[in-house]
Amino acid sequence: MSAVIEIEGLRKTFHTLRRGRRVAVDGFDMVVEAGQVHGFLGPNGSGKTTTLRALLGLVRPDDGRMSVFGVPTPEELARVAGRVGAIVESPQFFGNFTGHRTLRLLAVAGGVPTSRVDEVLEQVGLRERGDDRVKGYSLGMKQRLAVASALLKDPELLILDEPANGLDPAGIREMRDLVRSLAASGVTVLISSHILAEIQLICDHVTIISGGRRVAAGRVDEVLAGFDQHEWQVDVAGPERAAALLREAGLSVTDHQGLLVVGGAREPELISRTLGEQGLWVRELTPIRPDLESVFLELTGTAPHPTLPRQVGGPALPGEGPEPMIDLDATAGRGVDA
Amino acid sequence: MKLVRAEVERLLARRFVQLMVVLLGFAFVVTTVTTVLGSHQPSAGEVAEARAQVAEAIRGLEVEHQRCLRIKAGEIPLDEAGYVPADCSELDPVLQERLPVVADYLSGVFVFGQQAEPLLYFLIAFLLLFGFLVGASYIGADITSGGVVNLLLWRPRRLTVLGTKLGALTGVVAVLSVAATVVYLGTFWLIGQTAGLPGRMEGPFWQNLGAIWGRGVALVLLASALGFGIATLGRHTSAALGAVAAYAVVWELGARVVFEILDVARVDQLMLSTYVGAWLTGRVELYDDQVCTDGPGFGLCTGSYTITWVPALLVLLALVGAVTVSAFAVFRRRDLI
Repeated sequence: MSAVIEIEGLRKTFHTLRRGRRVAVDGFDMVVEAGQVHGFLGPNGSGKTTTLRALLGLVRPDDGRMSVFGVPTPEELARVAGRVGAIVESPQFFGNFTGHRTLRLLAVAGGVPTSRVDEVLEQVGLRERGDDRVKGYSLGMKQRLAVASALLKDPELLILDEPANGLDPAGIREMRDLVRSLAASGVTVLISSHILAEIQLICDHVTIISGGRRVAAGRVDEVLAGFDQHEWQVDVAGPERAAALLREAGLSVTDHQGLLVVGGAREPELISRTLGEQGLWVRELTPIRPDLESVFLELTGTAPHPTLPRQVGGPALPGEGPEPMIDLDATAGRGVDA
Repeated sequence: MKLVRAEVERLLARRFVQLMVVLLGFAFVVTTVTTVLGSHQPSAGEVAEARAQVAEAIRGLEVEHQRCLRIKAGEIPLDEAGYVPADCSELDPVLQERLPVVADYLSGVFVFGQQAEPLLYFLIAFLLLFGFLVGASYIGADITSGGVVNLLLWRPRRLTVLGTKLGALTGVVAVLSVAATVVYLGTFWLIGQTAGLPGRMEGPFWQNLGAIWGRGVALVLLASALGFGIATLGRHTSAALGAVAAYAVVWELGARVVFEILDVARVDQLMLSTYVGAWLTGRVELYDDQVCTDGPGFGLCTGSYTITWVPALLVLLALVGAVTVSAFAVFRRRDLI
């Protein structure tokens, strides 16, 4: 597969009078291959949106190399802009324009047939509200309109920054189905989102950013596998005796109100055989798999502290962020490894 | 071309632009209605009476001129209440810039030839306000609403996008200015023909009116570009409004007072309003007794000096050019966050 997006060593520091110097992106790397549905995760202030804005030519990077469809960006982005549909951070629209007019103006400016407007309004579920003024739209409807604007070009690459913002559960599901259908038709999709369960459901690949640096990248299942502690939840009669037997077999055991959590067993047979040979019959043996949320919280160091509220924007200066922990970008192999 | 089309449509669809056009229309209707209601076609008797008054006034001028010449020649003494200028040619009716005309003595009669110029200045003033505010709000609202970012995702060429917006703005303002002038002056010309008097329109009348109009429209376009440029630099419509308010208060009012206290000569030369006036009217005569404090011919110094449209144009072009170039340079490199 060919790389649709390549980012290497991206750096961006913002300077403001009030807040001084703030490193937003600090040597970030990312590769998105053709046909992927690629999740882009990171806590608030980690540099996700800055990265996307830099990629799309809205922010000038201080250093690094980026390309889209093999074309260096932002210098030559215009060459491939017609193949890229993007929304960046809840775009706003003129309240007095209707949704239809908003899209039609973009279509005219971009040289897209205006017949596409009705198609994309239908696609995002705004067909019946296309002639309403945008100021009457809910947050979710504005988000749908933003996605519609990104789809207008019939893009080969779709970049969606927080597409589920403001959507109700049904809307989130529709968005998921839409992304899946686009991916099935060959569109490469890069999604930045905070809804980790959603990313896990939609995406096949993921890049996690924290403190402006990549902390994990690769196939979703491989990233998760890297954090698999081979733990099992065991329900067995006589948990105290069972725990002792399993410890004797060299496994780690913790008792959670009568349910045992057993670690270190690559195969479940070890547990069932150890207990069965002693006449203890397992009633339940469930693998405890890491989910994206737990991996994300661990990698980004944003797990909630029982007493301290977490501060947004956390470590941002070089040397303060978390060290790169995992790189499972098995398919990349093109010089972007941290 | 597609981008130009989209930008023109976007500009015309903006509520603020539509509101300003409605306001222009409203001002036009109010002026027209009040003019029509306050004017009538004079009767032959009114005209004859006015003509007699004109002849009387001109005769009075001639009498004053002759009296002045005779006093200077020592033929008659200067009475105590009397005043004669140093140079009697000031009273010579032949040398007067403007002699009394019939229209001066017709009450309640709209005379197009006499009113066209102030009417045109009013229209230009409105178009100036229109151009500046629309120019500022067009780009200011687009930047704050994210419209520019949306557009750049489609056309990632910043200078092209900004240039197209400026082009669309000036084009729309120019077309609107032409259309408004034609309708406005055309209507009042018609009123002059039907409910008043056409007045004197021979000689350089249309030429002068055309020159004022041409300079006025150019000023409107410069004001549009200025509003656009300042709002681009400040990222907000309010930046342009604030800059103008700050300039007016700090420089035109505050600095003028300070300069006068410090006895700085030719303060008006330092004020932008002077150049706006000079450009619009062709030339401004200014007076400043500080000018006469030294130099050759001190005794003959009248303290007056003139600013013509040429330096005025240069100053205005330099200002708008500097702001516009800065706006494009900043926008080209700015982080759109």
